[in-house]
Amino acid sequence: MRHRFANLTLASVSYPLRMMPGLGWLRSLLGNRIGLIGLSILVPVLLLAVLVPVLPFADPFKTNVSVSLNSPSLEHPFGTDKLGRDVFSRTMTGLQTSLSVGFLVAGITLSFGLLFGTLSGFFGGKLDRLVMAGVDIFLSFPSLLLAIGLVAIFGAGFLPVVVAIAIADIPRAIRLQRSLVLGIKSRAFIDAARMVSATPGWLMARHLVPNTIAPMLVAASITAANAILTEASLSFLGLGITPPEPSLGNIIREGQMYLQEAWWISTLPGLVILLIAISLHLVSDGIREVLDPRARKS
Amino acid sequence: MADYAWRKLLQLIPTVIGVVTLVFLAMRMIPGNATGFMAGDNLSGDALAAMTERLGLGIPMWQQYVNYVTGLLRFDLGTTIVTGLPVSQLILEALPITVMVAVLTVLISCVIAVTIGTIAAYLANKGKKWFDQLITWLTMLVDLMPSFWMALLLMLTFTLTLGWFPASGTINFSDPGQMLQRIALPLMVLCAGQIAMIARITRTAVLEVLGEDYIRTARAFGLPQLRVVFRHALKNAAMPVITVAGLAFGNLLNGTIITEFIFSIPGIGTLLINGINSRDYTLVQSVILVYAFLFILVNMLTDFIYKYIDPRVRL
Repeated sequence: MRHRFANLTLASVSYPLRMMPGLGWLRSLLGNRIGLIGLSILVPVLLLAVLVPVLPFADPFKTNVSVSLNSPSLEHPFGTDKLGRDVFSRTMTGLQTSLSVGFLVAGITLSFGLLFGTLSGFFGGKLDRLVMAGVDIFLSFPSLLLAIGLVAIFGAGFLPVVVAIAIADIPRAIRLQRSLVLGIKSRAFIDAARMVSATPGWLMARHLVPNTIAPMLVAASITAANAILTEASLSFLGLGITPPEPSLGNIIREGQMYLQEAWWISTLPGLVILLIAISLHLVSDGIREVLDPRARKS
Repeated sequence: MADYAWRKLLQLIPTVIGVVTLVFLAMRMIPGNATGFMAGDNLSGDALAAMTERLGLGIPMWQQYVNYVTGLLRFDLGTTIVTGLPVSQLILEALPITVMVAVLTVLISCVIAVTIGTIAAYLANKGKKWFDQLITWLTMLVDLMPSFWMALLLMLTFTLTLGWFPASGTINFSDPGQMLQRIALPLMVLCAGQIAMIARITRTAVLEVLGEDYIRTARAFGLPQLRVVFRHALKNAAMPVITVAGLAFGNLLNGTIITEFIFSIPGIGTLLINGINSRDYTLVQSVILVYAFLFILVNMLTDFIYKYIDPRVRL
């Protein structure tokens, strides 16, 4: 009897520990089919975007009117734009911006979500009501609209765009973390830890956060994909990254004027956005399957 | 039901007050002075003072807030800075177009998505996986596709190459044929996104219900297959579908901003972008409020439909 009881608590205590054995879950992500497909798209594109300044591609800013609006060729894989700039190297440079926006927003959103979600879910009471009232107000705006409104206030540019998209995404992250914390707070191993007089700080840092980090990471990779799409939308509307600095959105916006005679300027960078978004979603599916074996069935 | 509706409306009051206050404060947090922001650097001191006066920004903050809220209650949203027209008039002209496009999108996409999702679930349940797989991948592809990119692809195909649908021109409610042709492409873009989301969730929900005992019982009674699927399974799978359709409405509103901008449809999305580009902040804050209210309204409607379909739901 005692033995069984010990097993029971051990199972509930070891559940969180299984999730964070160093880089073990990363290794299992490589063994996961969906995650592997996602990574095998994401990693090469990432490398290409990071290495584009040292690789022998055309200068993304150099104009050359003699090759204006050239269709895709070996020399210019994505063709050239009105000013004769190489669309491929502009796309890759824009991709650097997009990926930085995506990962920065995901990081900021994850941190704020973890912080406020955990505090709100753990302490409850007045703090919880205050945080959730704020969350409800922010969630009363469609997310792109909120980002547009914030960019209208902050102005265009890299940092305002990151902040605006992050503010639009943080309420969702807080709500998710809060609901996860509420689900775990009443579990037996938390009571066990309380019984050996664990402090609230210890409980949150060692028990609640490690147990909620998996779904939060899944959410964060989707946040990254959405942030990339939102940045592209903002830049497309002329409210995000402004030319001559290339971004996937503003390249497509510039290409819209030449849609008929130069279809490649708008269509090919869009394909790159789609590829990145798909790979991030596959990676998030992979993380979910690795960290939560129950998800594997569906 | 009436009691429930009243309670639900009362619960909304704090949120609405919060939204109104947030928009008011946000528009006054513009770095520097709002008038300077709108006018640029090319206004003299006198003109700037006159503008401050005209916008009612020369008085203390709380008084501005009171004026703003009482104005809202009378649907007096001030005048635009560029043209001097009343903002309420501009919104009343633009709103019906956006609402019409949104309602058409919801109707069309719900019918298509629920059909596709149910068929996918039915076939998956019978062991025919190919259609199911196809739908799963297709919906993911469409869901992740940037809507402005899809819009450009459609424009390239249908307007520039085939010449079927115009991408510019006025929208005239008195000529439905011409109007439908004009909004066909924006509808396609918006519907694609909605269908992708709703079809996927319908599939999952129906598939789950198809495994239930009462479905087997209905089949055992010899009811026709299609009737079992569409009458019994779909009805019980409706809850998650409605939730997602409600959530998807936020995406739809986001989508209207982009598609209206691309296809120059004179709705409130275009009004918003023009307002931002001309730094017309009285216009921008009002349009943002209209969007937020639309969103809140639809979320509330979703709750009501929920309650109507499943009386067990309490809130």
